[in-house]
Amino acid sequence: MSDEHDTRERTAQEQRAAERRTDGRRAKERSTSKVRAAIRDELADDRSRAETIEMQVPVIELSHVYLSFDQPILEDVSLVAKRGETICIVGESGTGKSTTLKLILRLLVPERGTVSINGEDITELNFQEALDSRQGMGMVFQGAALFDSMSVFENIAYPLREHTDMSEEEIASRVREKLEFVDLDPDRVMDQLPSELSGGMRKRVGIARGMANNPEIMLYDEPTSGLDPLTTGTITRLILKLQRELGVTSVVVSHDIRSVFKMATNVAVLHDRRISFFGTPEEMSASDDQYIRNFLGGA
Amino acid sequence: MSAILPDYRPGRLSPLSERISAAIKKRLATVRDYFSLAGRALGFVFTRPFYAQDWVQQMDEIGVQSLGIVLLTGFFTGMVLALQSSVQLQTFGATMYIGRLVSASMIRELGPVLAGLMVAGRVGSGIAAQLGSMRVTEQIDALNTLGTDPIKKLVTPRVLAALVMLPVLTIINDFVGILGGNLISTTLVGIPTSLYWRTVWEQIASDGFTLGVIPNDFVQGIVKPFVFGGVIAISACFFGLNTTGGTEGVGQSTTRTVVLSSILILVLDYFLTQVLLSIFAP
Repeated sequence: MSDEHDTRERTAQEQRAAERRTDGRRAKERSTSKVRAAIRDELADDRSRAETIEMQVPVIELSHVYLSFDQPILEDVSLVAKRGETICIVGESGTGKSTTLKLILRLLVPERGTVSINGEDITELNFQEALDSRQGMGMVFQGAALFDSMSVFENIAYPLREHTDMSEEEIASRVREKLEFVDLDPDRVMDQLPSELSGGMRKRVGIARGMANNPEIMLYDEPTSGLDPLTTGTITRLILKLQRELGVTSVVVSHDIRSVFKMATNVAVLHDRRISFFGTPEEMSASDDQYIRNFLGGA
Repeated sequence: MSAILPDYRPGRLSPLSERISAAIKKRLATVRDYFSLAGRALGFVFTRPFYAQDWVQQMDEIGVQSLGIVLLTGFFTGMVLALQSSVQLQTFGATMYIGRLVSASMIRELGPVLAGLMVAGRVGSGIAAQLGSMRVTEQIDALNTLGTDPIKKLVTPRVLAALVMLPVLTIINDFVGILGGNLISTTLVGIPTSLYWRTVWEQIASDGFTLGVIPNDFVQGIVKPFVFGGVIAISACFFGLNTTGGTEGVGQSTTRTVVLSSILILVLDYFLTQVLLSIFAP
């Protein structure tokens, strides 16, 4: 009996001791995790502070841009896009919307005014520097502008082959990843030629090619023109997905007011060679400017 | 203002002369752009990245695929040369010199010029149409956007390929032409093959040799197609890259390419002949 009691007592003591040890450990853990949390918080603070600073430097900035060929195209155009924002440029046909994209890409150089990317004025760059600066940008052309002598795979792999030292396997996996991102089945479309694809698919391949290099800026020239309403919705969602998941800064030239209102952080209305309005979609729909009212009504 | 000039305004005094001077300026700018394209295309030959694959592909398209028409035109040209000269030579009783006439005309003139004109029609128009449609479908802009110089990627390989392939095509053209002459002179004129080829060789050897081994006729016959190849490729790329106005513009670029390169081939042929004759004067 006493033996039994002893044994039980010992076990209880051991248990208590064990409990004390665990408690100690827990307490220790608690304090370390507190420290870690504090560090984490502080780091997060730092990061968010850094991010807010970064947010303040415009990724794309056009200021007082003048451009003319035989006649004036743009007069005193200013535009700002901060990190992660989507700017939509709307306006009638032939008002210089696509030209604005070409200025950002430095395919054109303004006569006066500056175009800055990440704070650097790109109007002063020479030809080679301009080619380099474009590598941080992805452009989706109106007609997709896929190289029709190359397969879908080669089209998307093109910027990777041109500017990276990626191995064939890395290129192949990157191409697959991008095709999957734009909701295309890589095995089905990869070996097809652009001429064998539908308009919507071509647009999506165009987007995949534009983002192959993981650029921080995406430019879209009428991404939804000539597409049916369902495909238009898909492309709009895709642009939104790119912005939300990858945080890219986007400039979209579009006629399609409905998708513009879905995507835009800010809308720029180009009218009479000038930006007649720049603000959020809400501000735009609340505006009582006659031209904007007509524009929205017409759409 | 006087009644004679009711609408007199200083700016509108001489619209015609203004228009003429504007047109001249535009033409001069075009010429300048043409040469600057040529300069840049050739300047890129020695700088990275080399688009070797494009070069080989273009040599196939410009050279190998033009072989058919070059063989056909060369053969018939040789035949008709033999036929015509046999009639002329018969009046002097000198039909045995058919070989001399055929080889001299083929190697010096008809080989290079005909190969040039055929390639201008077949390849020049093709290049202009391809680059033109790439321009109007924004593929040229896409290349630029993806950080590639379109001149380096598209123009340099085509110019290089034409510079290499046109002399090759010309040599083949010459040979096939002489062969065609052989066929006519043996079958219709009654000159034995051995005599025909002996006179061909006599003609080639009569103008002397460069460096002791290369017949001077050959050197003349190779310099020309080299120049013509460059002219065709650069004209085609120039008009192709400067295409405006959609599909209609592509058609215009194609026409302009064929017209300009054909004219340049014939004009340059004259001047090259003068220069080469003065260098290789016997």
